[in-house]
Amino acid sequence: MAAGAGAAFLGIAQTVGAMAVLLVAIVRAMASVPPVLDYHELRRNLHKMAVKSLPIVVVTSLFTGVIAVIQAAPIVKRYGAEGLLGWGAGFATLREVSPLLTALMISGRVGANNTAELGTMVVTEQIDALRVLAIDPIAFLVLPRFIAIAVTLVTMTLYADALALFGAAFAGLGLLQIEPRSFYNGLTGGLLSFGDVANGLVKSVVFGLVIALSSCHFGMSTTGGAPGVGRSVNATVVASASGVFILDYLVSFLLG
Amino acid sequence: MTTSVESELSAPSRPGVVHDLGAAGIDLFLAGRELYGVFVRTLYWVVRGRRDKGATLRQMYEIGNRSLFFVSISMGFIGMIVLYQAGIEIKRVIPDFTLLGATYLELLVRDLAASLGGLMLATRVGAGIAAEIGSMVVTEQVDALRMCAADPIDFLVVPRFLASMVMTTVLVVWAGAVAFATGALTASIAFDVPVRVFCNMSLIDWGDVLTGLAKCVAYGAAIPVVSGYCGLSTFGGSEGVGWAATRAVVNSSLAIIILNAIISTASLLIFGA
Repeated sequence: MAAGAGAAFLGIAQTVGAMAVLLVAIVRAMASVPPVLDYHELRRNLHKMAVKSLPIVVVTSLFTGVIAVIQAAPIVKRYGAEGLLGWGAGFATLREVSPLLTALMISGRVGANNTAELGTMVVTEQIDALRVLAIDPIAFLVLPRFIAIAVTLVTMTLYADALALFGAAFAGLGLLQIEPRSFYNGLTGGLLSFGDVANGLVKSVVFGLVIALSSCHFGMSTTGGAPGVGRSVNATVVASASGVFILDYLVSFLLG
Repeated sequence: MTTSVESELSAPSRPGVVHDLGAAGIDLFLAGRELYGVFVRTLYWVVRGRRDKGATLRQMYEIGNRSLFFVSISMGFIGMIVLYQAGIEIKRVIPDFTLLGATYLELLVRDLAASLGGLMLATRVGAGIAAEIGSMVVTEQVDALRMCAADPIDFLVVPRFLASMVMTTVLVVWAGAVAFATGALTASIAFDVPVRVFCNMSLIDWGDVLTGLAKCVAYGAAIPVVSGYCGLSTFGGSEGVGWAATRAVVNSSLAIIILNAIISTASLLIFGA
């Protein structure tokens, strides 16, 4: 039991340490003069990660808005606080639900996919081929992906904010007979400010960094053929999800 | 021959938006039909299949015990976050914390424990199932099963299906307990709500419990079916396995969110607000 716990702790510490080393290497590549960022690779990844994720973000956030209203319905009915529905849905969505769920979906779609791609390159020795050609795999492969994932998550969170509120407004009309106009008034009535949106966006930046770092780390440290790629993908999604929740708590606490 | 050449010549060189939408729609329809096929065959083999208790128990260990740490950590932090954010807002609007615990527990039982725990399990279990079955597909072990006249659904998906239904329910109950405990801790430290006041079950009724349990069973059934489908439809080498795991995570999470909307609406209509 104690040996198992110790081994698990050492494993976690090793992963966190390896991610820190990778982060230092990425920052060094980012700051190097002359710049080594491959713009073609960055654009290709941005298209593949952000544009191709739009449908899933749209579906997720519309449903999230509807669910938020359904869950708030008994509380609204109990206190007769129809005018506060916009505020409640807006507060929950902007600060927590939309950054969190977008991060989970992007971690599943983009982070896992990125790990699979890098892992395949590793097990088919394409990374070694790059090294033979004197191309730094961190600068050529990891840096553009790191930036693309972080940018993707922030932009997708903005989309998700808007769409979830849209879904919530119409769910309020359909299920609770609350006019979208009064929903909008509750949203803009002074209880919510730009600070709430900014709070969510700061979170999404942090989540983006965690997802990008863990997906690149597990991709680059893949071993053992096709099953190894599967194991890496599994490890990435688990590490991203735990990292997102732990950091969500810390960031919420720090920002207040 | 000539007609096909003509039709190729007359076809527009660049397919338009309608073409893309139609292609996406047809893909979605075909995937939905195959997913439905996997689900029906799973149910058929649950009733008619062979009884291999060892396989189901092994999967229960794999799905349940090995997710325990991950689920406890995530749900513990979720409990603290939800309570902290709710407390801040309540302080701003109505500074009355007496019903905080009761409302939180109601929300947890009805939705949060099942849905967030389900999303966590979709991430871990879904990726695991798809990666495992996908590796078997690309190393032709599934073809070997078919050669032995063993249906891969019966052999691979059914034990995971049964194990996941049981273990999702167990883990969600545990996850709810963890989230409630960390929530009570946060409330007593950050907002000075005594634990005795916080532990208030007055708002929970049978509707809430039934809704929560229905969600557990639905998510527990959806995760292995969706991920098993993604794993079985793997093609290509190691890249294909990665793709299968990715698709499993995304599709099971989507399935959970959509099922949540359906079950929540149904319970709102059945049990009332």
